[in-house]
This record gives sequence, C-alpha cells and structure tokens, in this order.
Amino acid sequence: MPKLRPWPRSLLGQMLLALATGLLVAQSISAVLLYQASESRREQTLLNAAAFRLLGNPQADRNPNGRRGENAAENTMRRSDGGRRAEHRGRRAGMAGELIQGLPLNLRLEQTEVSPLLAGEVRKPGREAALREILESQGIAAEDVIVVTRSFAADPITHNRERLRQRVAQTLGPDTQLMVAAAKLPQRDGWSVARVAEPPRQRGSVRMIVGQTLLIFLFLFTLQFLLLRRITRPLQILTGRTERFARTQDPSAPLRAEGPQDIRRLITAHNAMEARIGALLDEKDVMLGAIGHDLKTPLAALRVRIESVEDDHERGRMAASIEDITRSLDDILSLARVGRVGERPERAELSSLTASVVEEFEDMDQPVTLTESSRMVHPVHVTWLRRALRNLISNAVRYGKSAEVSLTQSGTDIILRVEDNGPGIPADRIEAMLEPFTRGEASRNRDTGGAGLGLTLARAIAEQHGGELVLANRPEGGLRAEIRLPLG
Amino acid sequence: MIEDTPTRLLLVDDETILREPLAEYLTRQGFAVQEAESAAAARAVLIEFTPDLVLLDIMMPGEDGLSLCRHLIETRDLPVILLTAKSEPTDRIIGLEIGADDYVIKPFEPRELVARIRSVLRRAQRAPVPTEETALYRFDGWTLDPLKRKLIDSDGAMIAISTAEFRLLRAFLDHPRQVLDRDRLLDMVQGREAHMFDRAVDNQVSRLRRKIEEDSRNPEIIQTVRGGGYRLAADVRRSAAETR
Repeated sequence: MPKLRPWPRSLLGQMLLALATGLLVAQSISAVLLYQASESRREQTLLNAAAFRLLGNPQADRNPNGRRGENAAENTMRRSDGGRRAEHRGRRAGMAGELIQGLPLNLRLEQTEVSPLLAGEVRKPGREAALREILESQGIAAEDVIVVTRSFAADPITHNRERLRQRVAQTLGPDTQLMVAAAKLPQRDGWSVARVAEPPRQRGSVRMIVGQTLLIFLFLFTLQFLLLRRITRPLQILTGRTERFARTQDPSAPLRAEGPQDIRRLITAHNAMEARIGALLDEKDVMLGAIGHDLKTPLAALRVRIESVEDDHERGRMAASIEDITRSLDDILSLARVGRVGERPERAELSSLTASVVEEFEDMDQPVTLTESSRMVHPVHVTWLRRALRNLISNAVRYGKSAEVSLTQSGTDIILRVEDNGPGIPADRIEAMLEPFTRGEASRNRDTGGAGLGLTLARAIAEQHGGELVLANRPEGGLRAEIRLPLG
Repeated sequence: MIEDTPTRLLLVDDETILREPLAEYLTRQGFAVQEAESAAAARAVLIEFTPDLVLLDIMMPGEDGLSLCRHLIETRDLPVILLTAKSEPTDRIIGLEIGADDYVIKPFEPRELVARIRSVLRRAQRAPVPTEETALYRFDGWTLDPLKRKLIDSDGAMIAISTAEFRLLRAFLDHPRQVLDRDRLLDMVQGREAHMFDRAVDNQVSRLRRKIEEDSRNPEIIQTVRGGGYRLAADVRRSAAETR
C-alpha cells in the first residue's frame, strides 16, 4: 500500500473510505438501537415487577408454595445470626430483584395513608403512565399513581436499619437506586407502595455492543479490502500498461484479462484498441515508406535526366530544385517517423556530436562557430539529435547570417544553444514558427528551400528526448534557439 | 583500367522511369550496361553475361534486392552497389552486412554514382576484400566499429565522427605505428563524396585529434612525424563484432 494520506486519492482508498464510513454509520445506528432496546426492556421489567408487587395480595404473597416457611425461617435467622445467610443468598443470586424479594415483607409492599412522595422529589410521568397502563391491562383502574426514584439510603424504610443499608451497599453498590411505585388502588385504603431496586446497568453490555460492532466492522472491512483490491488491481495494471503504451506505442504482449467482468471487458477492449493503434501506426509507416519510394524514384530519374542539360547554370538550378524537394520529402517522412518504436537511445558524447555538426557547416564555408562545449555523455538518438541541431544551425545561417553554437549544462538540463545575429522573430510569432509549414519572412525570396518543417522537426526531436525546444529573442538582437534535454 | 574494353555493369531496377535514363547516362559515361527489371530477369541475364559490377535496387516486387545481393556475393563474388530509397541506417547496415560494397540513396547525383562505381572497382582490383571487414578495431581503450561507423570510448559512450574522420582513422588503424604521409593518407581517405576530395588532411587530423586525444595540443595517439606525416602510436587489436 502506498503511504497513507489524510484523504485517499486512489480508487481503492476512496471506495474503502466510503464503505468504511457507511459501515460505521450503519453499525453505530444499530448499536444505538440495540442499546435502546435493552434499556426499554429493562424499564419494562422494572415496571412489571412494581405492578406485580402492587397487585400482589399480601396474604397470597405470604404463602407462595411453601416459600413462606423459608421466608419465615429466613426472617428468624436474620434476627438470630445477623442475616449472614441472606447476605450469602443475595450474593449468590446476584440479582437485585431477588435481594429485594428477600427483604422484609413490609419493604416489598407497604400500605400507608401518607403519600410516599418526599419533599423535593420529582415524579416520573413517563413511568407513571406506563404503570397505569399495566394496571389497566389487568383491569384495575388506579385512582392515582406516583413513581419516583430515590437512593436506597434516602428511603425512609432504611431508617434505623443500619445493617440493611450496609448489606445493600455491599451487594448492590453504595448508590443503589430504588424505584418507589405507589398507587391508590380500589378496594384498598390509602397508598399501596412497592419498592423495586433498579438493577444497575450492566456495565458490560455497552462494552459488549461496542466490541461486537468493532469486530463486525473489522471483519467486513477486511472482506471489502480484499474484494476491492481484487477489483482495482487489474485496473492499476491496466493504467500502467496504458501509460507505457502512450510512451512506446508497442502493442506486443497484451494484458491478460482478469478481475471482475467489467474490468475484463475493459482490458479486452484496451487490448483491441492497442492492436488497432499499432496496426494503424504500422500502416502509416508502410504508407510513408511507399510514398517515399514512389516519389524518390521519379526524383532520381529526373536527377539523372537533367545531366543531359547542356547549360551548367540551368542544370545546377534544376539539381537544386530536386534537392529541395528531396529535403522536404525527408523532413515530412522524418516528422511522421520521429519517436516511433524500435530505436533505443545510445550513450553518446555530446560535445563531439555538436562539433561534428558544426564541422559539416564549416566544410561548406558557412559562418558557424562552436563557442563553448564540454564533455557530456547522455543517452540520445544520435541521428535525430544531429538532425535537430543541423536544422537549428541552418535556420540561424539562413535568417541570421551566422550561428554561434554552444553546449552547456544548467541545473538539471543539457542545453544545446544556437544563436544568430539576425532580426529574430516577433514575439507573437514565436509559437507559430514551431507549427509545420511556417516560414520566417526572409524566405519569401524562395532561395532558402525546405518545407518549413525544420523547427517543427527540431521540436519533435527535442520532445522525443523528453526535452523541449525554446525559442527566444536575444536582448542584444537575434534569435536564440535552445534544445533543453533533462539529465534525469 | 583498360580503355578499349568498357566496364560492364548490370543494372537491376524494376522502375523503368529510372532504369532507362540511368542506363543511358552510364552508357554515355563509357560503361557497357545491361538492364534487368527484376531479380529473376537478372539471374537470367547472369547466365551468359558476367558484369564487373552490379547496381541493385533493394525494393523490388518478387525477390528483393537484398536476397539477390546475397546470392551474387555468395555464388559469383561480384561487387555490388545497392540503390535504395530509404535512408534508414539499418538498411545500410543490413546491406553492408550481407556484403554489398557500397550503397547510394535515391535520388543520387549521377556523378557521385559514377565516382562510387570507380571507387568500388578500384578497391576490387587492388586487393581482395579483407575477410575481417566487419571486425572491430580496439586501440588505447577505444573501439571502432567499421560497419556501423561508430567510435566508442572507454566508458562505452559514442563519439560522433564524420565520414572523412572515420576513413582517416581507419587508415591509421590499418597501418598502426607506420608513418603515413599526406599523399598516402589522402589517397586512402579519398572518399566517395566529391566535396571531400580536396579536404586538407591536416584539418581532418586535427578534428580527429580533438575527439580522441586527451589533450589535442599534445597528441599521443596520432603523432605528427617530422618531415610531413602522421603515425598511430597505439596497438590495434581486431575482434569479432558483437551481434546487436
């Protein structure tokens, strides 16, 4: 995996992020719902227990299938040996409700004339309504219902019962809350008051919900990651392949179609496209070769025929015209071929290359000088680079009467510079000069020749080398043309 | 060359528009020219006619020029000059590899073609073609590939040299440690392109020195010999060309 950024940019990263976020939200909602459900269940249990107590007949409660004896014995025992057994039982049962059941009867259901509401206590209307509903479902219409929550220690029943308080504090925790539910029931006088200890929230349950959520999240996330990688890996390979193809136009060894169906189809389509482009390029090469052959043969014939022209001057002009056509033809064919597959750059020493091009011009007695150069070895397409340099120098000689050539290194660029003392190019025409078939003003008199492809070809060659052609007017006059080749 | 028996040429080219005027021109130049419009026709002509040199177009329908060229060199040992419309260096190398003596690119200057014909015939008469025509020259850390005309330095980088410099260097390498005077060098270097005929040898030597000498003002490889000449002061080894 590439290094993690705060915001993923890859398809895999973004899809994973989107899925993970969605999953997390969904799971959070489900966790909250789970929690709420468990809360409402707890509430329901509490209220049911209270209703059960309220409705419980003290007589019936006192005799539930022989449990009375146990209770009686328990009561006796508590009195005799400090309630150790009850304590034990409470701890063993662990449930607050059962402990409450183990309390003296008057704690479970108390009949009183006074409202159990203590000063400063707030009634719980929600619970009161729910309790009333439960009672009504049992066919009992309570005249009034009060539900409050108070701490065990604050409840009047614990007054003067230090040991009870301690016991509850030990088993249920020091701040056990007691729900006190009171109702004025028909056929009973005053308030029936039931007490139910609110079971402490199971601390584990929240943790369990969070844990479960995380576990499921991790599992699903891993699954998604594996699945998405299976989808995106062929895509990555395809991207690499496309980049390579853009560079080399080499359709050989097509990609194997793999991954999900859509991607397979994409790869198959890409392979077909590569093959088509390759075929088109091959066709183009064959066609250009044929054009070259078909035009050069009659040119050659013409060149032979003009030898019979008696007038030397006339023959010379004819030969020059033929040479002109040949050069244009070569330029056009070259421009179409530059950068095609098959040629690998070779390490060449550039100062000797530059010198040898300059010497060609010296041999033709042209005012071309090499001002500065030092030994530099760089992988280049020798024939092409010579050609680009030759084009720049002949332009300089043609329009600027002389050329100064230098080979230098500046930063990470190798710079092949050709400068002349001519009129330069108007700034707004510089871009246009690089377009095919554009010529400078001075060539109106037609003695210069060429198809106007010199600079276009030089630029194409510079780009073939990963570099660029830069044209600029020199402040002291004349044009400066630079081929900049990156060293890297 | 004996004047009264004209040099016999076989011109093989499928393009009538070129073949006919070229044959006429060469005839006017004093050659006896036989024409053939295809490789098959050429094979037929060769049964009764033995030319001194064959001018051969590469791109022809049917059997192409390279194939015929191979046949001519293997079975008849005839000098061959290839005529080609392509200027790709690979074509030139393939042509020279299978043993053609020279090549010209269409459209060519007819006078240049004549000069090359004479030059090839001169070489053919003077000495048998060296068997090691394609073997690499190695000297003082340098490598010269005579086929690809490439000069490689000790780092493996290519050094650009002109045709004239290549010929000059090769002349030195073929005669290591011998003193070669200017006339001899000029004779050996005299090339096929007209404008090089009068090139001053000294000028070429100094250009060559700039490329291969550590310090071209104190040359160590190509030394000046008092009394007018130069000498290659290095040992030369030949080894088979790497296949690339």
